[in-house]
Amino acid sequence: MMKFLFMMVFLTPLCFFSYWYLSLFLFYLSFLFIFMFNISKDYSFLSYNFGLDLLSYSMVMLSFWICSLMLLASAKIFKKKDYYELFMFNILFLMFSLFMVFSSLNFFIFYLFFEISLIPTFFLIIGWGYQPERISAGKYLLFYTLLASLPMMVGIFFIFKSVNSLDFYFLSLNLDNFLFYLCINMVFFVKMPMYLIHLWLPKAHVEAPISGSMILAGVMLKLGGYGLFRVMKMFLNMGLKINFIFITISLIGSVYMSLICLQQSDIKLLIAYSSVSHMGLVLSGLLTLNLMGMWGSLVLMLGHGLCSSGLFCLANISYERLNSRSLYLNKGLMNFMPTLSMWWFLFCISNMAAPPSLNLLGEVLLINSLIIYSKLTMIMLALFSFFSACYSLFLYSYTQHGLFSSGIYSFTYISNREFLLLVLHWIPLNFLIFKGEIFSVWI
Amino acid sequence: MLNKTCKIYFSFFSFLSFNLFLISLFLIISEKSLIIEFYLLNLSNFTVNFLIFIDWMSTLFMSFVLFISSMVIFYSSEYMKDEMYISRFIYLIILFVISMMMMILSPNLVSILLGWDGLGLISYILVIYYQNFKSFNAGLLTALTNRIGDVALLMSISLFLEYGSWNFSSFLEFYNLKENMGLTLIFIMIAAFTKSAQIPFSSWLPAAMAAPTPVSSLVHSSTLVTAGVYLLIRFSTGFSENTMKVILIFSLLTMFMSGLGANFEFDLKKIIALSTLSQLGMMISTLALGSYDLAFFHLLIHALFKALLFMCAGSIIHNFNNCQDIRFMGGVSKLMPLTSVYFNICNLSLCGLPFLSGFYSKDLIIESFSMLNMNMYVYIIFYLSMGLTVCYSFRLLMYTFFMDFNFISLNSIGDKSEVMLKSMGILISLVIFSGTILSWLIFPIPMFIYLPFKMKILILWLIFFGIWIGCETSKFGLSYELLSLKNYNLSSFNSNMWNLPLISLSMNLYPLSVGKKLYTSFDQGWLEYYGSQKLLESFTYSSKFFQLLSKNHLKIYCLISVVWFFFFFFVDT
Repeated sequence: MMKFLFMMVFLTPLCFFSYWYLSLFLFYLSFLFIFMFNISKDYSFLSYNFGLDLLSYSMVMLSFWICSLMLLASAKIFKKKDYYELFMFNILFLMFSLFMVFSSLNFFIFYLFFEISLIPTFFLIIGWGYQPERISAGKYLLFYTLLASLPMMVGIFFIFKSVNSLDFYFLSLNLDNFLFYLCINMVFFVKMPMYLIHLWLPKAHVEAPISGSMILAGVMLKLGGYGLFRVMKMFLNMGLKINFIFITISLIGSVYMSLICLQQSDIKLLIAYSSVSHMGLVLSGLLTLNLMGMWGSLVLMLGHGLCSSGLFCLANISYERLNSRSLYLNKGLMNFMPTLSMWWFLFCISNMAAPPSLNLLGEVLLINSLIIYSKLTMIMLALFSFFSACYSLFLYSYTQHGLFSSGIYSFTYISNREFLLLVLHWIPLNFLIFKGEIFSVWI
Repeated sequence: MLNKTCKIYFSFFSFLSFNLFLISLFLIISEKSLIIEFYLLNLSNFTVNFLIFIDWMSTLFMSFVLFISSMVIFYSSEYMKDEMYISRFIYLIILFVISMMMMILSPNLVSILLGWDGLGLISYILVIYYQNFKSFNAGLLTALTNRIGDVALLMSISLFLEYGSWNFSSFLEFYNLKENMGLTLIFIMIAAFTKSAQIPFSSWLPAAMAAPTPVSSLVHSSTLVTAGVYLLIRFSTGFSENTMKVILIFSLLTMFMSGLGANFEFDLKKIIALSTLSQLGMMISTLALGSYDLAFFHLLIHALFKALLFMCAGSIIHNFNNCQDIRFMGGVSKLMPLTSVYFNICNLSLCGLPFLSGFYSKDLIIESFSMLNMNMYVYIIFYLSMGLTVCYSFRLLMYTFFMDFNFISLNSIGDKSEVMLKSMGILISLVIFSGTILSWLIFPIPMFIYLPFKMKILILWLIFFGIWIGCETSKFGLSYELLSLKNYNLSSFNSNMWNLPLISLSMNLYPLSVGKKLYTSFDQGWLEYYGSQKLLESFTYSSKFFQLLSKNHLKIYCLISVVWFFFFFFVDT
């Protein structure tokens, strides 16, 4: 474990030298990490408060992968010399803190780096965002999380007082207290985000540069899920009593969010709302606390991380060419970017859980787990599943089909870098399903 | 000149189709079926398998699908040759065929879903192939209606979890005897209805005619729409009697509605689409009456002649400068003799002219249906729809082939394209002979039909009656006072498919308006107000208040500290 930590620390000087070398090394790091894979139910690679079980492994893998792709996606910053050294340092720092979050065995270290990871994201948004509204979006991002996370700190101290350890392994406090439940879990609900407290996400997404959107959709939302996976074993009794409230809110919320998606004229906003909607399903599946729900929510988290990050990349590719995210201007792109159109299609259908993608596996498992939980959820699930197809197809056909906007003056074709970016999103998304059962091992 | 991609896939598919046909012959003779299971996922006793089920039914169906698709690919190398990206079109068709294969081959619900989703999506892409608003709307209507079926399938997957396995064919009969699988199979029924465009969902099929004609020929006549029938065939052992009755009613109504609607339609492709709809209704009602092998028999034969019918229509439309209105046609039989011959053979086969392929399936269906003990309503509707089929077929024939030539005088119409004629010519042989061949193959023992003379002759009467009505309706000067304008409500109701498109199109208003309300009053309204803005407001308010305190006299400041001191003193003890 130390080797990754040290590698990331010692990559820092490289930030100030070369964009492409850093990019190369980040991929190198990811591949080193991939080769460490072993299927084991328990924690492995234990050393000095760090360790990986399959859950942490897959989340770290996701964050390494997305961070490397983030760098690949934002070559424009490098070309424009827009403080790219600091930008790369920021990404490296983010990667470092995400690695610490996911691989630490200690709840407090988790909490610490959970908060620390906000800072580089915040800088990404206010540093390299586009509009002046990015300041307020950054504040939304920080304060929605902070407001809910300080109670968690108090909760952590309480756990330490009663269990005398903060190792995840020893978290076996069974306290039937609603306040304690809220203290610990509220921050994860905000982070997921659950419906009603999701407002920071669309704002942050819209204002963030491509790298910020990718990391937000790809990994930051999954922090909430990861945290819930870890702490839910403290709330087994409590969860049976009150989880249904949050399941209901997030299920209804995911239907509402998908209805809102149909109203958007901004591509990024649409994708952001769709990710709120999908995370609502993840949250509700996770809170059912059954095996299939756990499995499905991990799978959907991975799938959604790759898929929505890829969609943001696509939105950015056309943004860099048309300088607009509006659906009214991004029209008829199939006529001059036919190859990209295929990628739009592939990612849009992955977003609506078409085969063969991790999203499909995740959604099937989550629907199963929720219907086992209660047959009444069927109504919401059916609506969710239908409307997710609606907005995905709407996004695809509105951007690709029809007459292109006459305001387009000059145009560059897609570079190899961008195709590579999309391929590297798509391959894990559609090929991991062939061995989808490895994600069930850790439960 | 033939496109290279077309050539490769044409030869590959026809080769595969021939081999599969031989395999199915072997399986019919030896009465064997082969099950191959791939182990995809498992968690304790929850297993997901990818099942490949090879019996005579699936291989025969696959060989037909592959044969038709190879002909369509061959045909479209000419039809679509002006397209810039013709290979994109061909690849889409190939993807479609692959998902059809996946759907046909596996009687496992999860692996059916894979093919089923693929079918819906690829057909969507094919419908919006031409970049205009009509096809855009038609595509979304198609895709979303099919998505309802996907959702129903997803729901039934999760309901099937109770039974322990998704390999439904192994336990369907068992559970059907022991308990009612009610809701589970209702979802299956909905899924099949959306794919096969039965009554509440039938508006997408005529709308999908916005697709290029080779697509209509392959997708919207012979393969995609029959996927629903195929699913029902696979599930037919599981349905309870009441569900069967529901299916029967809906399919009969579809059959009648579309037959009636086709008599009002002037769009060449839409007439054929409506006739497809009515044939689908016939297959499903046959199935609901319990004879699923007859339904399958008709499915195969219908696929052949309907594909060819569409190809001929495409050829005619191509020659008429993409004009589809049959009122502009007429006299085509003199200008395009060979195409007209093909078209006529298919049309007569659709009507069930003796010894053409349609006769074998349709006649068998009608006579075995007459032997059943059904009520009068079902009987009358069934027979009337048979008559209507003949009626619109003859109306179409009269309009397009026999009446005066109505097109613009500067034209160049003729049997010019060799490739299209060749591909149609290969299909026509099967349209003629496949009825006999298949009836020998599928029914080794001939069916025993025993009917009184009047019932036996009734269908013939209806056919002649249909021919007469069809010829009469095709005349312009039938009545100078237009009857259809006099009875405007009735005729618009019938010609609009009983307002089904209106229902499904006006449906999208509600989710959109709800979404708008949610967006403006929740996301930008209440949640913003009570979330961030309220917080900001209260923080500013309280910080102002404290500032006010600290600006005040020192006495007040001290007093507050004393109060706090007492507070902590008492609390901490």
